[in-house]
Amino acid sequence: MLGTIGKILISASFVTSLAAMIFYFISANRDENRTLKVGNWLFATKAAFLVVASGILVYLIFQHQFQYYYVFNYTSLDLAPRYLWSAFYGGQEGSFMLWILISAFFGFGLMKWTREPYKAPVLFFLTLTQVFLLSMLLGWDIFGLKLGASPFRTIAEEMPNAPFLQTNPDFVPQDGSGLNDLLKSPWMMIHPPILFVGFAMMTIPYCFAMAALWKQKYNEWIGPALPWTLSANVALLTAIFLGGYWAYVTLSFGGYWAWDPVENASLVPWLIGTAGIHTMIIQRKSSVAQKSSILFAILAYVAIVYETFLTRSGILGSSSVHSFVDLGLYNQLLAFMVVVTGVGLGLFFWRYKELPSPDKEAKFLSREFMTVTGAMLLLILGLVIILGTSSPIIGKLFVENPTPPEISFYNDWSMPIAMIMAIFTVLGQYLFWKKYDAESLASALISPLLVTSAVTILSIILGDVRNIYYMVYLFCGYFAVVGNAWVLVRLTMQNPKLIGGSLTHIGFGLLLVGILASSAYNSYLVDQKTANYNTAVERGEVTDEQGFKVTQKEEMLLLNLNEPVIVDSRYVVTYEGYELDNSIRRGQQTYKIKFEPVDGGKTFYMNPEVYPMLTTSTAENIQWSVDPDVRTGLLSDIYLYVGGSSYVQEQNDRASENRRMMQNASLQDTSGTDTPEVQKIKLNPGQTIDVGKFKIRFVSYARTDTSELPPNTTIGVKAQVELMHPASNRVITLEPLFAVYSQDGQSYIYSPPARVPDFDLEFQFTQINPQENNIELTVTGLEEEYEPEWVLIVADEKPFISVVWAGTFILMAGFSISIFRHWGRERKKNNE
Amino acid sequence: MKPKLIIGIVAIVGFTSLLMYNFGESISTYTTFEGASEMSSAHIPGTWDEEKGAEFSLETKRFVFYMKDESGVSKKVVYSKPKPNNFEQADQLVVIGEMRGDTFYANEMLMKCPSKYNDADPSQFSEAAQG
Repeated sequence: MLGTIGKILISASFVTSLAAMIFYFISANRDENRTLKVGNWLFATKAAFLVVASGILVYLIFQHQFQYYYVFNYTSLDLAPRYLWSAFYGGQEGSFMLWILISAFFGFGLMKWTREPYKAPVLFFLTLTQVFLLSMLLGWDIFGLKLGASPFRTIAEEMPNAPFLQTNPDFVPQDGSGLNDLLKSPWMMIHPPILFVGFAMMTIPYCFAMAALWKQKYNEWIGPALPWTLSANVALLTAIFLGGYWAYVTLSFGGYWAWDPVENASLVPWLIGTAGIHTMIIQRKSSVAQKSSILFAILAYVAIVYETFLTRSGILGSSSVHSFVDLGLYNQLLAFMVVVTGVGLGLFFWRYKELPSPDKEAKFLSREFMTVTGAMLLLILGLVIILGTSSPIIGKLFVENPTPPEISFYNDWSMPIAMIMAIFTVLGQYLFWKKYDAESLASALISPLLVTSAVTILSIILGDVRNIYYMVYLFCGYFAVVGNAWVLVRLTMQNPKLIGGSLTHIGFGLLLVGILASSAYNSYLVDQKTANYNTAVERGEVTDEQGFKVTQKEEMLLLNLNEPVIVDSRYVVTYEGYELDNSIRRGQQTYKIKFEPVDGGKTFYMNPEVYPMLTTSTAENIQWSVDPDVRTGLLSDIYLYVGGSSYVQEQNDRASENRRMMQNASLQDTSGTDTPEVQKIKLNPGQTIDVGKFKIRFVSYARTDTSELPPNTTIGVKAQVELMHPASNRVITLEPLFAVYSQDGQSYIYSPPARVPDFDLEFQFTQINPQENNIELTVTGLEEEYEPEWVLIVADEKPFISVVWAGTFILMAGFSISIFRHWGRERKKNNE
Repeated sequence: MKPKLIIGIVAIVGFTSLLMYNFGESISTYTTFEGASEMSSAHIPGTWDEEKGAEFSLETKRFVFYMKDESGVSKKVVYSKPKPNNFEQADQLVVIGEMRGDTFYANEMLMKCPSKYNDADPSQFSEAAQG
């Protein structure tokens, strides 16, 4: 019932949107205020319908109405209320709904603050995009032509042919399939809404640019559009940061950026939007760059729609880890993209001849030239990334079934572009506030260049940078920081309101330095043996069983329970066991890894987690997920996750045993009798281990009598081992012997078995490892196999990741200061 | 104006062709084990050959399993990282690496999983109905 109301409401808001669009169009065409008012009322009605529909969806989610496919697919009974909220936009349909809601909200802002003659055309274009987005939610079926996927469709509508529905048409699942465990993260609760704020806001510069083209007023739109664009930029940047941080701290990607298409989907509009900000600022100052401002405003939104198309049409299915699957919206998304791009670029080229051109060419050393070049570089970077992301489509020009490009494609192109940009930020900022010729600029730049060089050289020495390319890159990054800081100091003394630009450019420079440090100088924490092995691999000295050269380094660290390992000559790392916890996530293990700095620093623990993904695991098949632990430091982070452990292995073995039992339920499988009779156990002095019904303790070494040793013995040691049988409360002390003697120039080991007739056991002292301070016992006759407790960890140190975050925050702060400056001026104009 | 325009066009054409060339070089086509023998970095889609098992060796720190490619050929794959978490669940695997002799060495592995974004598996419903 409620679902039907929801569907009707969405259809109603689609229809009212369509009507509002028509009224806005008439109003814009005739410059009429009456029709504009009607349009506004329709717009508000549409928004009201949508708010109620969203309310219904939220209600259905909170009421666990699992007959609705959306509710079933994204929630479950045990989901915490805060994640029930995030389930609202966890799926594709709900996220479209959130996008339109936010966009409608900004629509009211536009109604209030936009001046004539832009008001009606701006609202027309905003409503146009909403009509398209709403059409994705309709769920209409017109003569077999499906339009949209409704969030209110029931399971029966989703799978009409499912057998269980044919036997019982009123079937309602008792529990939902739950939210993906990876999305149960506070970061994921706030990331999507902020992203959609960014998407919705980036529509607004597009609307203004289109309005300017429509009304043939190419200058005045900048005033109101600039603060909106800056705000869109901050929202997208925040969303990118949150996404990156989430990937870093809760996914085992190993970093904050992977050039995944979904990540690129928010980066590219940000880059092009930022390019637009540059040209808008220069257009406001000196009435040049109208063409590029309009073009960038159009392209930033086209980029959003294009990336939405890529990630939601299922076209990236095999190349992205987290792209959506096609909901049958392919054609609709394609139409959306074609209309936004076609109308945008069509109108642009139609008016192109009319668009004002600068009277004379800008000189090289002018703020106009520098700023426009910076914007062009941002655009080029955006285009390069779009090209890479579009490989499933554009790659078809080259190969039949294209794969995504190698990561190096993105790095190879973005690094040099970023380096040139870094230089231009400084020149641009200097020229922005003061006129210079080549000579005076050069002398003004002497001090910043000296400081930059000093810092670069210092970094090269301290960081042991050997790559010349990286040296130049570092220089460029530092130059952006230092040069812009010079401008910042001067501006702060004049008028602190103006520092937005120089502050953002400092943030950009810091970001460049931080990205290089944290990604190129990322080092794995491994023990000495593995480190030696890796050096040999690097030299090409290692070959495998088949005689092929090994090229892959080992990045894992195996830790046995309570056996300290020296890592990177800096830490003594000990695995101290794990805790099982069912309170947060059922079956979650929290591992305790102790780090003791060799130089006597403070001991600390790292606690990575492993948990079964309940939504997808069964007794026969457990799907594990890991939560890395990050120890944040000022200079470097330690990033660590569990690659496997004896506990996980045991559970997996049990699961596969279950699977076998399920498969051969009829065949009485008598597994368990094939346990090995002979096994080797390693023990440190004082250590006790449990094997089946026994406890074995290696007390210490025992006194050896020379009469027991063979002649010509070089080593002769006896161990004192206690065999405890808790059930019978018996303790048997054994003293197995280990000796190495030589005979005829050859060495032999002598280790006679020590027998325990009561339990039919034999102990042999077969090895001694002075380096690891342990001995090896070979035990015959034990029924149960001794399983050492171990954990496999992947740990790496990422230097200066804090600089990446600092750069991001400074960028946000700089853009925010600019918003206040430009918005303040707009308000004054509005009040006049 | 004219020479500037020419320089501009040359620059754009040069940049674009370099970019497209590099792009073309950095992508490859999905292939099979047979096709991979001549490639240094091959992307092969396939499915885990369950009958032959999969094992992570603590000694060599390698994960070894058999994969059936799209032409149905099953080959040994060596992956020098821990077993990916959702390996058993994956509908499809994409291994990226090179063929050496009869063994494929994967540097990277992608798993296509029946995730929350995909259509739910109808068998879940029958389970829920019974329970």
